[in-house]
Amino acid sequence: MMEHIEYFIYIWPDLFKGLIVSLQLSVGALLLGLAIGLPMALMRTYGRGLVKTLAVMYIELIRGTPMIVQLFLIYYGLPDMGILLDRLPAAIIALGINSSAYQAEYFRGAILSIDEGQGLAAQALGMTKQQAIVNIILPQALRLVLPPWSNEVIYMVKYTSVAFLIAVPELMARGKMLISKTFKPLETLFWVGVIYVIVLSIIAKIVDMVERKLAIPGFQMSREDY
Amino acid sequence: MGINFAANKVLASIPYLLGGVWITLQITVLALALSTVLGLLLSLLRVYGKGIFHRFSLIYSRLMRSLPLLVILFMLYFLGSEIIDIPAYWAIVLALAFHSAAYQSEIFRGAIQSISKGQMEAALALGMSKYQGIFSVILPQALRRAIPYWANEATIVLKDSSLAYALGVTELMRRGEYVSARTSQPMLTYIIVGLIYLILTYAFTKSMNRIEYKVRIPGLER
Amino acid sequence: MPKPILRIENLHKKFRDTEVLKGLSLTVYEGEVVVIIGPSGTGKSTLLRCINRLTEPDSGDIYLEEQKIEPGKSNFSQIRQQIGMVFQDFNLFNHLTAVQNVAIGPIKVKKMDKKKAYDLAMKELERVGMAEKAGNYPAELSGGQKQRVAIARALAMDPKIMLFDEPTSALDPELIGEVLEVMKDLANAGMTMMVVSHEMGFAREAADRIVFLEDGVVAEEGSPEKIFNNPERERTREFISKIARLNSGGDDRGLNNK
Repeated sequence: MMEHIEYFIYIWPDLFKGLIVSLQLSVGALLLGLAIGLPMALMRTYGRGLVKTLAVMYIELIRGTPMIVQLFLIYYGLPDMGILLDRLPAAIIALGINSSAYQAEYFRGAILSIDEGQGLAAQALGMTKQQAIVNIILPQALRLVLPPWSNEVIYMVKYTSVAFLIAVPELMARGKMLISKTFKPLETLFWVGVIYVIVLSIIAKIVDMVERKLAIPGFQMSREDY
Repeated sequence: MGINFAANKVLASIPYLLGGVWITLQITVLALALSTVLGLLLSLLRVYGKGIFHRFSLIYSRLMRSLPLLVILFMLYFLGSEIIDIPAYWAIVLALAFHSAAYQSEIFRGAIQSISKGQMEAALALGMSKYQGIFSVILPQALRRAIPYWANEATIVLKDSSLAYALGVTELMRRGEYVSARTSQPMLTYIIVGLIYLILTYAFTKSMNRIEYKVRIPGLER
Repeated sequence: MPKPILRIENLHKKFRDTEVLKGLSLTVYEGEVVVIIGPSGTGKSTLLRCINRLTEPDSGDIYLEEQKIEPGKSNFSQIRQQIGMVFQDFNLFNHLTAVQNVAIGPIKVKKMDKKKAYDLAMKELERVGMAEKAGNYPAELSGGQKQRVAIARALAMDPKIMLFDEPTSALDPELIGEVLEVMKDLANAGMTMMVVSHEMGFAREAADRIVFLEDGVVAEEGSPEKIFNNPERERTREFISKIARLNSGGDDRGLNNK
């Protein structure tokens, strides 16, 4: 038992550095995903013609392909076109683009679930369509989107481990490096796993608290449902 | 000229890539078969199980859903090399299966719990055993409801099978990397690889929609 | 002396802190139609559900003919089969057509040959006037039609007694008549029935005995004649007149139109 703890104390500084990178990746990707995802959702829901088609194509293209393909396209493919990115920004961009498509669908689902009468009532008050979307629909939809969005947070933290495949020194990569140094694969992976489980349960707790804080009566949508 | 030549080499590698599709599909189908059985079992333990069975299912689901697939994958892989011999191919199949089973158990649980309590009561009142009630009354309804969510999870398994790349299994993604290295055309290669994945997920989603439509029953829509 | 079919002795049931049944005893005889009435929360539904053990009572014994009903005993399923139950919200199996709903009990529980089971199911559907809808799914039927199929489903098990748990209270008023009609036919055919219902018209016409449940025990019982016109207890009289007012005029819905 003692030696396991000692081993953990030995590898912890490295794993901690990796964890910080994992969290940076997650935050960066989630924010980028939000910045692209929300406009995509609006384009797909309210857009017409080319605008709508573009949004649909973007979302379905991303959702239909593995994250690792997107990562390799950006990290190995873009230099073909003269765009050279460092590992970390390449990973954040790839993960962010991936997340944006899923976030767009969560937003769209939430917008569509807002009763049509809400928009009509707003227009009956004399609001323009834009005003109705911004003032009436979105504030409601953003609350509804919280449960699926918190799922996306947890997904994203897990999937940052894919960045290890382009040697971003995040948690998984640190674990692999330690394995080649100490030749203790199972023990190392065990502790890596423990860190993921603990960090994710803390994040889940925080998200739960935020959800409860922002809850409005009659606006519950259970995250456990699906 | 040079570029065209290289591009032609990429195009000439398409049959090689398609060979990788075959392995990708094998991994996906095996993982799905295992994870569906396991996920269904876990959901039944979760809903109908008592004490330790219920707890086991709950903890399994929580744990697997908070571990990245890559961590599970490498654990199985190294476990394989240290204790029992699991080749990389089976490590990815099992890792996908164990990981997805957790998500599927939540899907099936949700579907089972969406069936009203009266259905089981009516079955019991007819003299059916609980077991008969589950298999003749609850599951035929719950599984129909679960189809679209299961189909979504299945495409995730298909896409995640690309992580077999990390173990050097020569499925589609790994073959893509070989082609990219040989031709020095990563952009074109990965676009083609991406398109192949897109076709696979699209075809799968469409056929699941057809199945959902075929087995639909009025009043049991999602 | 008529033969007792169902004998309930000293039944107790508590939910959390509320005692719903407080030592209730009741015997139902062969061919008898017993209608159970009483204020809400007095355990009418709980009583029915305790009989076939959808709800487990805390204490008390229930006998079907001479057999004690005990879960865990080898003949428990057999006893349950002999007690037909009709629910307030129908509980038809949503994934099965009407005829499949009726046939599944005989097939799965009695291991009856499929062909025979479907023939039987069609016969029972005819009996409740639902033969034309045999191939329809529950979602394609009206509430009244659903309840008639549910009655056929219970009948297909050839029960010794039928329990009806507020069979018409989830129905739109215009659909109540068709269900009561079927129940009346059953009563006339000699089926032993225990009915929780406030349909006074049905009670007056079809019941042999009315049982007034209050506070978890049988407060008063007797012929419809006595309970409706001449109850012994003031509470019973109050309750009857309240129900009559609620039903005002509609108390023999569908029964006088034939």
